[in-house]
Amino acid sequence: MEGSAQQSAARSRARRDWLVIAIFAVTMIGFLDAAFLTYEHYNGLVGLPCVGASHGVSSCEQVQSSAWSKVDGVSVAVLGLIGYFGLWVSYWIAAKINGEIGRAMGFCIALIGFGFSGYLTFREIFTLHEICEWCVGSAVCMTVLAILTAIRFLRGEPAVS
Amino acid sequence: MASRKEQKEQARAARIAQEQAAAANKQRNQRIQIFGGAIAIAVIAVVVVIVLSVSGGNGSPKGATPGIQKGKSAQKLYSSINTLLKGIPQSGTTLGNPSAKVTMQYFGDLECPICQEFTLSIFPQFVQDQVRTGKVKVIYRSMCTATCDGKMSASAENTVFNRQQVAAAAAGKQNKFWQYTELFYHQQQTEGTGYPTDSWLTGLAKEIPGLNIKTWQTDRTDPVLLDTVNADQSYAGKAQLPGTPSLIMKGPKGETLVDNGNFPSYSDLARAVTSVS
Repeated sequence: MEGSAQQSAARSRARRDWLVIAIFAVTMIGFLDAAFLTYEHYNGLVGLPCVGASHGVSSCEQVQSSAWSKVDGVSVAVLGLIGYFGLWVSYWIAAKINGEIGRAMGFCIALIGFGFSGYLTFREIFTLHEICEWCVGSAVCMTVLAILTAIRFLRGEPAVS
Repeated sequence: MASRKEQKEQARAARIAQEQAAAANKQRNQRIQIFGGAIAIAVIAVVVVIVLSVSGGNGSPKGATPGIQKGKSAQKLYSSINTLLKGIPQSGTTLGNPSAKVTMQYFGDLECPICQEFTLSIFPQFVQDQVRTGKVKVIYRSMCTATCDGKMSASAENTVFNRQQVAAAAAGKQNKFWQYTELFYHQQQTEGTGYPTDSWLTGLAKEIPGLNIKTWQTDRTDPVLLDTVNADQSYAGKAQLPGTPSLIMKGPKGETLVDNGNFPSYSDLARAVTSVS
């Protein structure tokens, strides 16, 4: 009976660990994606690899230079980078200051990222008719993070140390 | 029968369990409240960002001109256009040797996505093989199709159409009509949304090195340019051209509407040149 309870606790810890590891991994992927897009944005989109192209201009370049690539003059790539940085800050707050607030903050940021990247993907598909894999990659990361951080918050796992 | 001491311990344990359950319940409720609050904050934030983004998409943001490339990206785009056009004579809306035997009239709408596809995919090879070599000259003429797609009122569509076509023609007064037109097609946005505002068109003009912006702005008010746009429209209507791009090839042996107004391939164009030469 006691052994079974210990096994169950160990399994629970492992599950929690995997959840945090998955959140960290997806955040890192999204962060690198946004960092690359930001770099390319300020470097004139000259080295942005892309599968799709039309009229000799790559789909990524068309999306990144479109009217929807900026919010009030700020590149969405920069906004994405700020979002991922905010997620790292929330993980740090959860680990060092207040677990509940940190996890709530992480979930909130991921949900904002999910909502806005969903809107941008809609614009890519239905307005621009072009797909930028790098933008879709970030949108997928934010979607996964919104789900994982919600699970993490509702389960109330202890702060990551 | 439990002793009095045991009963006290049981009661104490029950009280502790009750307190723990109440604390857990309170924590759960608090968590749900925070969860709801986080969702509300996220929804508000997303709505605000989307509103800001949409106001940018409509062409009236603060500072930056939406859809107009800047910096190295703009330089790279202009460089590719310059490579295509460099060394080819231009006058007004005409590209090519003025004494070329064959003339292609290109009826287009700068907002037309099919014109964009033609201009960016088929036209460069035609310029390289037929125009640069002096065989053909191309005259661009205005015909409202995509801009006049009914998304706005007829008068608003007419205003936008005249504004954009005259803006390109004004660049033609400095022999840079084709640079302007190429830049427009490269950075074309959703048709019929009224995006070619004054600031958008000016942003495009500023991408052309050597174009005197002050002169260009003055030329935009030249009534002759507007008359030409109207005359082109009138001609297209009378000729019952099927849409844009409509390409009329004219030479010593006659005149033909390339591929009956359908989207032409390069070989359609080359055949049409041969047939009228």
